[in-house]
This record gives sequence, C-alpha cells and structure tokens, in this order.
Amino acid sequence: MYAQFFGNYLLSRGVITGEQLIDAIQKKSVSHVKLGTLAMHAGYMTANEVDQIIIMQTHQDARFGELAVKEGYLTEAQVTELLKAQNPDFLQLGQTLIDEGIIDNQQLQALMIDYESENEIYEGDYSNETIASINHLVENFFVIAERSLSSFEVSFIRLFLTNLVRFIGDDFTPVSPYTCKEYPTNFCVSQRINGRFSVKTYIDMPETACIKFASRYVGEDFTSFDEYVQSSLEDFLNLHNGLFNVNVSNDMSIELSLDPPVVETNELLTFKAETFLLPIVFPFGTLHVIFEIFKSE
Amino acid sequence: MTLDDAKILIGDDSILARKQIKDIISQYGSPIFLEASNGQDCIDIYKNEKPTLVFLDIVMPVKDGNAVIREIIDFDKSADIIVVSSVGTQAQLRTAIETGAKDFVQKPLKSADQIHHIITSRFERS
Repeated sequence: MYAQFFGNYLLSRGVITGEQLIDAIQKKSVSHVKLGTLAMHAGYMTANEVDQIIIMQTHQDARFGELAVKEGYLTEAQVTELLKAQNPDFLQLGQTLIDEGIIDNQQLQALMIDYESENEIYEGDYSNETIASINHLVENFFVIAERSLSSFEVSFIRLFLTNLVRFIGDDFTPVSPYTCKEYPTNFCVSQRINGRFSVKTYIDMPETACIKFASRYVGEDFTSFDEYVQSSLEDFLNLHNGLFNVNVSNDMSIELSLDPPVVETNELLTFKAETFLLPIVFPFGTLHVIFEIFKSE
Repeated sequence: MTLDDAKILIGDDSILARKQIKDIISQYGSPIFLEASNGQDCIDIYKNEKPTLVFLDIVMPVKDGNAVIREIIDFDKSADIIVVSSVGTQAQLRTAIETGAKDFVQKPLKSADQIHHIITSRFERS
C-alpha cells in the first residue's frame, strides 16, 4: 500500500502543528483505535453515524458495536471483520488526535478519504493484465529462490514493480528472474537499504534506454545522456526505496535506513550475497534490475 | 521581504531534484539560488551565505540531512529549514522536526502546492 506518512500530510495541510504531531506520535502507542474509527475507515459508517452512536452510548450502557448493529449501521459480520483486521498505523495516529480533541470524527473522515485518494494506488488503477503479470513475477521469485520469501522481499518486489507502473509506465514485459553472481554493467546505479531488511538494488541499462527512461520519469523530452538523465535513475531508485521505508514504518513500525544512491563505476559487479536479476523489457530498451539481499528476516 | 530579495539554499545530492525545486520556486519570483550536493557543502554554504530559506534532503552523502539540520541550528537558531525527502517515516519526520526543521515535504513532488504554500507564507508579492 502506498501509505505515505499521515502525520506529514496533516502537517502540510495545516490541520495540526508540529508540537501537536510530536505529542500525538508519543501518545500513539498507548491509544486504541475505536470501532467507530475503523468503521469510518472501511467506509461502513459516516462520521455522523459514528457520532450518533457515541451520543447514544452516553444514555445507555452498551458497546459501540452492539448499538451500531441495532441501528442497522453495521452487520455482526462487519463488526467481527473490523475487530480482526490489521489496520494501518496511521489510523492510530488519527485516533490519538481525536482522543486529544485536536480533530473530530468529521474531520478525520474527510482527511482519511483525501489522504488515501492522494497517496494510495488501488488495485483498481491497474489493468487486470498488469496485476496478473506482477503476481506472476512474484511467484517466479519464489520458484527461483528455492525457498520461501520473507514478507519484506515480497512487498519490496511488488512495490518496485508497481512503482515502475506508476512512474515509468505499464508497457513492460518482465522476463523470468534468475540468480546471478556477477554482472557486466552498462550505466548502473545502486542504493542500499539497511536494517532488519537489507537489500542493495541496482538498475542498469544502456545509455539510449536511460534517456527514454528519464524522459518518462521526469515528464520532459531529454535527447542526450546528460547529468539530468543520469540523476533521474538515482532519483527513481531513491524514491522507490524511500517509499518502501515509509510503508515498512507505517505498516510494521520498523525503521530502516538508506544509503545515498551511487553510480557504479566497476565494469563488472560481483555479488557477495544472494542476488536475483530481473530483466524488464520496455519498448525503449531493457532494464536489468538486480536485488542483492544481505538480510531478510 | 519579497521572494526576489531572498536567498534560497537547496541541499540535495540529486541535480534533478534541485532543478525541480528551483523550477517550482521560479514560477513565483527570482530569488538567488544556492545549491549543495552533499551535507557538508550545505552547512558550509549556510554559514557563509546565511540564506533566507533552506530546502534539504535527508539521504545525502558525506553528512545526512539530520546532521545538517543540527549543525545549522547550532549556528543559527532561527534558520528556516524545510525537509524535502522520499523517506517520510514517522521516526524521520519526528527527528527532523525535533532537531529544528520547520516543515517536511514528502517526495515525489506531485504538485507544486506544498512548495507554493511554503513560499507564499514567507514572502510578500514582488
């Protein structure tokens, strides 16, 4: 999921101040996301309906879920589903802000809708063909790795492919990945993530393909292999890795760190850790994407 | 102060990212732009030039953005630093703001809105 940090979003919208945000983040771990908030997030109830149930609760001693079912806002099955589902971390932050009286349910509802529409790509945005090809590729990784992949690896590969669709285009044909020990470079950039999941990703392609890749990424028509074109590849990689770290932080509350992206100067790369090479064929040329996995819990 | 009278320092190792920020700001005026491609250069330029506003990346060579914020704030408590980064994790955002950054813009810069807001809230129309 493309959840970028909700707090950052609230801050940039002027909904809360920096002090309120820091305070809320510190209190967040002890706050408990209420059923009403979950129901709003799932789109089962509106903020007004949640408020009505909260008012009813002041008159009678009953749980939110019981009353919501009685009033016909939720079914029993929906209550069970909401209580079981794992919820994105940003909801907890939203709940803390409500508990602290900084925002109300109406505001949270509007903000959630706006935030998610701005920052998430739903599977509906992709053609069935694209989804199928991404799923197929991830399955291929399972086969060639000859082991089960960690959830880090699966989400990393998925995000990489969806970022390619999002920022470069969906007109690519992926070729089956394979393991490799060394690789002769064309123009190659790399960047390493460190922490509980540590992976160095390389993107390599011929200069002509770099020019087209950069033109699509930046939305400008580059004609020569200049410093902006070279920088575009590093920028894309840095963006992908940054968004991955944001997702891991949001969804799993794990912080990973990132080295600056670099241009590989060696003509031949030799890999120390388990390494997968994924060729991706675009009409303008073939990208070689290499994942060198140092650590994956 | 108008934007035309301002000095704006952009610290980012990506020449593309620096250009994108300059292009957005240039729609609203013509400040003096200063650029740094690593953390140490950014600190050195700040100390020599005392810019009005700083746009700063976090993941940078030599010294990262957090170290840069710390050293600049040590030198000038009133420094106006905006972080522009792809790594808007909760810990990162908190560190940046606690260290003294005034705001945090998450990359990709999908629209010019956030930068526009930062510029118009600080400078008079020229």
